[in-house]
Parts: sequence; C-alpha cells; structure tokens
Amino acid sequence: MTLNKNMRVFIVDDYTTMLRILRNLLRQLDINNVEEANDGENAYHMMHKSPPDLIISDWNMAPVTGLELLRKVRADAKLKHIPFIMVTAESKTENVIIAKQAGVSNYIVKPFNAETLRAKIASVCGAMA
Amino acid sequence: MSAAMDVQPDKTSRLRDSHGFLDRVIGELRSVQSPQKDTLVGVLQYLSDHIRVTRSEIGALRGDQVNPQLFGNTADELEEIVSETARAANRIMDAAEAIETVATAVDPASAAALMEAVTNIYEASSFQDITGQRITKAVRALQSMEAKLASLMDAFGPPDGTDAPAPAEADGDARLLNGPQLEKNVSRQTDIDALFESLG
Repeated sequence: MTLNKNMRVFIVDDYTTMLRILRNLLRQLDINNVEEANDGENAYHMMHKSPPDLIISDWNMAPVTGLELLRKVRADAKLKHIPFIMVTAESKTENVIIAKQAGVSNYIVKPFNAETLRAKIASVCGAMA
Repeated sequence: MSAAMDVQPDKTSRLRDSHGFLDRVIGELRSVQSPQKDTLVGVLQYLSDHIRVTRSEIGALRGDQVNPQLFGNTADELEEIVSETARAANRIMDAAEAIETVATAVDPASAAALMEAVTNIYEASSFQDITGQRITKAVRALQSMEAKLASLMDAFGPPDGTDAPAPAEADGDARLLNGPQLEKNVSRQTDIDALFESLG
C-alpha cells in the first residue's frame, strides 16, 4: 500500500531520542510533515489547534499518558476520526485490550523496526481513508 | 493485671512500647500463683527475646554499615546512565544523519546500501528508550525499598519519628504502567498483532 507522503503526522514521546528516531524513520518513508510533543497534554492542545492526519504516541508519559491522550482524542469531535497508533514498551495483553477498547487504531511494541512502522501506518491510514 | 491498664489505643504507639508492655506483663505473670503460668510465661518470654534480637539487628542498620545516602546516590547513578545513553544515542544519530546526507550524492546501489545501514542504526538507537524505561523502573523500586526500610527502622528503634505511610498500590490506569517486560515475558509484535486482530 502506498503511503500518502503529504500526510501530517503528530508524534508524541517523552524521550527526545525516540522522537528523533521516529522523525528520521518517517523521513525515510518520505513523510516530512511531522510535528512533535514530549507529553500528552501539550500534544492534545497542539493537535486540537491544528488536527494532524495521523497520531503516533508513546503510552508511558507524564502527566498525561498516551492512553489518556487517546481517550481525549476519541472524545473530541474535532479529532476522533484521526488514526492513532500506540508505540510502546507496554506489551501486556491487558494493555492491548484496554487500548483497543479506547479506540486505538493499531499497536506497535518497542523496540520496533522501520518495516513495522511503515506497515502499521499503511494499515491504519488505508483503513481510515 | 495493672499493666493492661497502661495500654492506650493510640495509633502512634510503637513496637517498642508494645515490647515494654509485653515485658511488664511477663513480670506480673511471674508473680501470679498459678500452675499454668509457666507455659504462658515461656511463650511470652520467647516472643520478647525474639523482638529484642530483631530490634537489635534493625538498629544496627542505623550504624555505619548503611550509608543513609546509599539509595539516593544509587538512584542518581542510574539516572545518570539514562542521560549518558541519551547523549550517546544522539551522537550515533548525528553520524547516521550525516551518512544519510552523503548517500544522496553517491551511485544508487551505494546509496541503497548506505540507507539500509542508516535505517538499522535508527532502529537500534531505540535501545536508549528501552533501557531508560527499565532504569526508571529500577529507580522506583529503590525508592520503594528506601521508604520501607525507613519505616521498619522507625518502628523498631529510637529515635522517635513518624510512621512512613505504606506505598499506595497502583490502581486504575496507573496499574497499566509497567514499562518494558523482561525478555522471558515480552510479547512479540506478531503476538500483539494476533491479539489485536482477535479483538475485532
């Protein structure tokens, strides 16, 4: 599946290293329109002002976790349609179930590779198109 | 027994107060004329001796064997590891980004090989995120142990202090924040995909 190179992607992680990795891997997919935030609270305010086409978020952040961000996004009429991929080291079955119930579009376990990232983006963006 | 009258239902009473009370009870029991008292005195004396030894051992933790800064210093050391690995990961990515730039100026076959190598470097750089989360878990465990040890030392011996509150058990969403799992417990992406699909 071909990715839309012009999509606006919002990445959220409290580790700046991970934000840089995601940004670099997205660039290799020719996706250069990328915004970022270090926590869920800032991310929500930023994306509410200017909704992206895709959200890629870590789970384990403070003060607003990725799960809370997901719930806020899904409860927001302006944002609820946006594909949301959780990229996290939280790999317990319970986590995946709760994220799914909260409306996550797909789930990537850290550490991940570039192909997994590409495939999941293609999957959710295709599914949401 | 008059000793029983000395006990107050005070939340701040300490183990040492209870120990003193126990010794007083034993003393008073010894003066009671009863054929059954020896067994009871023997059991209570055993308990009292056991408490005394335990208090002595816990009290020794206040001595030179345990540096009160041990936990804090160890936590600082661990957090420094997180910072150092972040710096290292960023330097690695500086180099990878430089290689990526050079790759645009070489022949297509070389460029493809370089880009594949750079992608591998980016993927591998996520070690910093994973190790950082693991170390953060270790720091929290140390802080929990520090609080419990302080509470134990406070309960078992002088000087007076306040009881440390028991660490709150995580509930709600907080119970879901466990960070990276040990290798033996980790779920693979294929496991997650299968689970995700099964959820409909």
